[in-house]
Amino acid sequence: MIPRGESATARVAAVARKEIVDIFRDRRTMLVTLVTAIVVGPVLMLLVLNLMARQSDKVRELVLPVVGIERAPALQAFLERQQLTLKPAPADYEAEIKSGEVDVVLEVDAAFADDVAQGRPGTVRLAYDRSRDRARAAIAEVEALLRAFNREWGRGRLLLRGIAPEVANPLSVESRDLATPQSSGALVLFLIAFYGLFASVMGGMAAALDTTAGERERMSLEPLLNTPIGPLELATGKWLAVSLLNATAVVLTLTGFYLALRFAPLPAVGIPFLFGPAEFGRFVVTLIPLVVLMPAILLYVGCRGRTFKEAQSNLSVLLFAISLLPIVQMFLQRKDPSWLTWVPVSGQYALLSRALRGEALPWSELLQSYVVPALLTVIALTAVGRLFSRESLLVGR
Amino acid sequence: MIVVDYLAKAFGRHREVRAVDGVSFVAPDRAITGLLGPNGAGKTTLLRMLSTLMIPDGGTASIEGHDVVRERYAVRRRIGVLSDARGLYPRLTARENIRYYGALQGIPAEALEKRIDELVQALGIAGIADRRTQGFSQGERMKVAIARALVHDPQTILLDEPTNGLDIMGTRALRALLRDLRSTGKCLLFSSHVMQEVTALCDSIVIVGHGRVVASGTAAELVAQSGETVLEDAFVRLLGSGEGLAA
Repeated sequence: MIPRGESATARVAAVARKEIVDIFRDRRTMLVTLVTAIVVGPVLMLLVLNLMARQSDKVRELVLPVVGIERAPALQAFLERQQLTLKPAPADYEAEIKSGEVDVVLEVDAAFADDVAQGRPGTVRLAYDRSRDRARAAIAEVEALLRAFNREWGRGRLLLRGIAPEVANPLSVESRDLATPQSSGALVLFLIAFYGLFASVMGGMAAALDTTAGERERMSLEPLLNTPIGPLELATGKWLAVSLLNATAVVLTLTGFYLALRFAPLPAVGIPFLFGPAEFGRFVVTLIPLVVLMPAILLYVGCRGRTFKEAQSNLSVLLFAISLLPIVQMFLQRKDPSWLTWVPVSGQYALLSRALRGEALPWSELLQSYVVPALLTVIALTAVGRLFSRESLLVGR
Repeated sequence: MIVVDYLAKAFGRHREVRAVDGVSFVAPDRAITGLLGPNGAGKTTLLRMLSTLMIPDGGTASIEGHDVVRERYAVRRRIGVLSDARGLYPRLTARENIRYYGALQGIPAEALEKRIDELVQALGIAGIADRRTQGFSQGERMKVAIARALVHDPQTILLDEPTNGLDIMGTRALRALLRDLRSTGKCLLFSSHVMQEVTALCDSIVIVGHGRVVASGTAAELVAQSGETVLEDAFVRLLGSGEGLAA
């Protein structure tokens, strides 16, 4: 006689162990999961940071093409004092602005000197294409310099007439920018939060489909159900394995960001936020509910598909909706309402953004964000168990 | 021992397809019982009810005294099933495929390894036991599927068209194995649509057509019942038409 045990835990463990071995041997799935996790996110982030760096470099080394600057020698001197390099604009500068070769051109009106001599405002013109993101910093810089020159000139005139310049400036605007280094750079911020979220949503996808729809497609489900494993035990074992893979994908993604920010040759923009061990930890505790919820949902969708392909197309709708949430949230740009913490995905995204801004996350809100995902996980797992005990699963309907 | 008593199962929105329609028979221990019938006669549905995967609409069935509905887990621990679906895990080795089922049957690690070695020897798959099953031939797959169905040394063994896709050598090896199992006192229920298959192996034969038992007995009894002299004619006569029995 062969000795036998009857432990449900042992059966669940047997399923989980087998699925883990199976998943980690699936080279294609592992490659896709790990490459997207470790490489793509950080590379994307470095690209964005480099773009930001180039924009700020542009302002610093601004070369301003000018037309007729000799008609306004005072302005010329002022601009040169501000470290601008002035050079004659090409004749077809409008075309070059349109094609993006030149960001902004300053033209001094032909009648400038006459107007000024007769006490009328002198006219200068700026030509630019504001729809070009790259040009915006340069445009803003030149506009600011022209305003500064205007002020300086005006003050000089008032002083000559014996009037204090303050008379013409009754309002004094003082602004305090409360952006910490962390809270600027919204795009990079969004990128990291989104990618962390993305990893927790997608990390287990291929494995979850393979272990459900794939199991049906390979015709290995029926013999499996002939063993003493209960449907809920089977669902739990598979869920544990996929959750583990999902957690691995999330940790690797975050590690990728951490290493990229720490060791990659970052451009001299100054990193606009912090992503150190504390933020790493906050990301992990924020993402835990999704790391366990998503595999349960993916298993459910996978079980409903007769083949891997069918399950995949069912999933794409769901994943599209999920990935849309944070994008909508980012574009709304409003303060998140407090109930948002309860909503899966949205709540996590809000918490991740706050973690990146350097805020500590209060336990009460973290626990709030756990409630709904935990409930949904239990519901989804029960549903998977029910599917596994359905006769129609065998007949392929 | 398998006791089937007026078992019934229907499919379709209005239960209009009566796949199994009041089947009764007994399959004793130390014997191979053949379930012979044309395609679509209800053999697979019958075996799925016996292996607890489908719940009958009517009638009862028990295996070693355990009801297939009320005591489904007790039944699953006692049966070895080689179903029509016999997919293996391509990324696991043959040994790992068998080990998985052994673990699900609750066999402790040490005893399990011993049992796997036994089966690997008995089935002659030592050469492929540690290779991943991806790319195995039909015969190799079949042997691994049998090993995994027998890993817990079940008393009752259900086989659904086991010779499908096997070559002559594979079929002969399978027959020898089933006879071996019979000699150790097992109860084997074997379904097939191939007459020669059943007559070559089975101690008694249950002929099913359209979800009902048409006739049962030993080959000699069936010939006598039908009033024919040749077995093949007897089957055709008993089924009531010349339909579907592959020769």
